[in-house]
Amino acid sequence: MMEDDVSDQASDAGSEEVLTPVELINKLEEAWLNEKFAPELLESKSEIVECVMEQLNHMVMYLSNFSISTGDLKSALLNHMEIERIRFMLSSYLRSRLLKIEKFFPHVLEKEKSRAEGEPPHLSPEEFAFAKEYMAHTEALLKNMALRHMPPNLQTLDLLKCVPKPDLDSFVFLRVKEEQQSILVEPETDEQREYAIDMEVGSQHLIRYRTISPLVASGAVKLI
Amino acid sequence: MDACEVEFLAEKEMVTVIPNFSLDKVYLIGGDLGPFNPGLPVQVPLWMAINLKQRQKCRIVPPDWMDVEKLEQIRDTERREETFTPMPNPHYMELTKLLLNLASDNIPKADEIRTLVKDTWDTRIAKLRLSTDSFVREQEAHAKLDNLTLMEINTISTFFTESLNHMYKLRTTLQTPEDGQSQEY
Repeated sequence: MMEDDVSDQASDAGSEEVLTPVELINKLEEAWLNEKFAPELLESKSEIVECVMEQLNHMVMYLSNFSISTGDLKSALLNHMEIERIRFMLSSYLRSRLLKIEKFFPHVLEKEKSRAEGEPPHLSPEEFAFAKEYMAHTEALLKNMALRHMPPNLQTLDLLKCVPKPDLDSFVFLRVKEEQQSILVEPETDEQREYAIDMEVGSQHLIRYRTISPLVASGAVKLI
Repeated sequence: MDACEVEFLAEKEMVTVIPNFSLDKVYLIGGDLGPFNPGLPVQVPLWMAINLKQRQKCRIVPPDWMDVEKLEQIRDTERREETFTPMPNPHYMELTKLLLNLASDNIPKADEIRTLVKDTWDTRIAKLRLSTDSFVREQEAHAKLDNLTLMEINTISTFFTESLNHMYKLRTTLQTPEDGQSQEY
C-alpha cells in the first residue's frame, strides 16, 4: 500500500525510477552524508526531501488513527522511534545545506544565475529565496552600519571577492559504488608525478575532492 | 561528523533478539519486521533491539563474531600484520559498546570481550597514526583504506584532512593560481 504511494509521487515528480520506501531512506542517507563531507553545496535533492516528508506525514496520520482505534501501542511506539530517526536525518541534511548557503551565499547565488538551462539546480526554490534574503540583509546591514560613512569612492563592496569560495582542493574519504577506471591523481600541478588509479567497488579511498567531484554528482562514489 | 552520528548509522545493523511478548508484523517505512513470538528468534535493527531490551521485552543474541576465541584470533592477526586486517563487522566498535553497556547479562564473558575489542582498537589506531605520518612524509595524494571502519576514519578525519589541506596549500603556493587572481588591496 505504501509502495504504491511512493511510486506515484516519484512519477508525479517526473523521475523515471520507481522507489520503494527502503530505497528512498537509503537515498536520503547518502545525500545527507555527501552533503556533510563535500566542501561545496551539492545538487538539490528536493524530490527525495518531498517524498520523505510525504512518507512521514502519511505515517503520522496512520498512527494517530491507528492508536485511537485499536489501542495496541507496542508497534505504534516502534513506528514513532523510526519516524524520529528519519526526521533527524532529514533535518540534519537540510541544516548542513543552510550552513553552506550562509557560508558561500554570493557564490551560490552567482552560480544559480549563470547556470545553463536544463542543468539540475543546486538550490530548491525555498533555499533560493533564503539565500537572496540573506544576501539582501547582509548587504543592508553592512551599508547602514559602516559603508555609507566611508569616503564616496570606497562605499561599494564586492561580496563575490570578500567571501571565500568553497575550497575544492580539500581531501575527502569516499567509498566506491560503481567501478571506476583510470582516475588521474595529481599530487601537485607539476605533470611529472601524476598517475592513474582504478577504483574497485566497495573500496575506500582518501583523495582530493576536485578529482572526484563529478563522480559524487553522478552517484558513482559516496563520501564517508 | 560526531561519534554519535556514526553510532546512529551503526544502529541500522540487524541483530537477532528473542522476544518475550507476541506482536503482529510491524510495518515500518524501512521495511516490515516480525511477527514477534515469545521464544522465537527474530531479526530487528539494533536501535529497536536496544529499546526492547531496556523495556525488558527481549533477550539479545550476541552476533557470531562476539566470541572470545574469534576475537583473540582477530587481535593476534591485527598485531602481526603490517596493514589493517578486515574486521568482523563494519561497526564492530559501536556494536560492542552498545551491546556490552545494555545487554552484558545476555553476553557470556562480557569483560573479556570488552578487553579484546579495546586491544584491537588500540592496535589499529596506533597503526593509523603511523600510516598517516608516513603518508604525510611521502607527500602522497591518494590512499586506499579498504579495511578501515567508519568509526576509525571518523576519529582522525577532521585533523588529518585539515592537515593535508594545509600541506597542499603550502606545496602549491609557489605556482601561479589557475584563475590568475591577484590579491588587490
